[in-house]
Amino acid sequence: MKIKLELFGASRDFSKKDYLEFNLKEKSSIKDLRHEILNFVENNFKGNDNYKKLVKSSAFCSEENNIVSDDYKIIKEQNIGIIPPIGGG
Amino acid sequence: MLHAKIIDAIKEKVDIANAQKFITSRKYGASIYFVGTVRDQNNDKKVTGITYDSHDALVIKSFEEIYKEAETKFKFKNIAVYIEHIKGYVELGETSIIIAVACKHRAQAYEFSRYVIEEIKKRTPIWKKEHYEGEDSKWLKGNPLIDQNQSK
Repeated sequence: MKIKLELFGASRDFSKKDYLEFNLKEKSSIKDLRHEILNFVENNFKGNDNYKKLVKSSAFCSEENNIVSDDYKIIKEQNIGIIPPIGGG
Repeated sequence: MLHAKIIDAIKEKVDIANAQKFITSRKYGASIYFVGTVRDQNNDKKVTGITYDSHDALVIKSFEEIYKEAETKFKFKNIAVYIEHIKGYVELGETSIIIAVACKHRAQAYEFSRYVIEEIKKRTPIWKKEHYEGEDSKWLKGNPLIDQNQSK
């Protein structure tokens, strides 16, 4: 199942594009996706601690524009946004 | 009555005149304008500009939720609120956010305006990348929207 992870804020440093793509097993959860992103950081940025902290402190946003918890089941291919700690205004 | 919008810095600017047009009415006796601008220093570093990033749909949803919550919390009737936030690169002195509030009395306007900006700071998905002299730049740390115990 292909998931397009839309990048925002500091997570934009993960790629020159504004998204990353992951292949997840059916019925994966946000927790599984977070794990895949941590693996991506491990493999592509030598386990950069700041990036790992960023992933661990990020929320995720479903295609329906809801903030979803780690238990949220991803039941179809979709775009998911990673929402790092916020600070606008 | 609410106006909520993300402004793309490449195409437009946040303009206080537009806010004034929206909130001006003979029904209201008090108007407050909160204007956030890009300043030239932060944490002893010389800032040359800020790039704002935004999850547009969530930002608008957040503005609407904050407005509704404030209406319920303060129980004010007949209030006009105008919220715009920029995204993209913004130079020193330029406006990043405007919150204009108009209602019957000044105390209500101050309360409502303060509530809106503080809630935006806490939970609206907008990010800042500061640019410094020497072409260095850094995403600023912010408030996590999750309980980090759940992500371990």
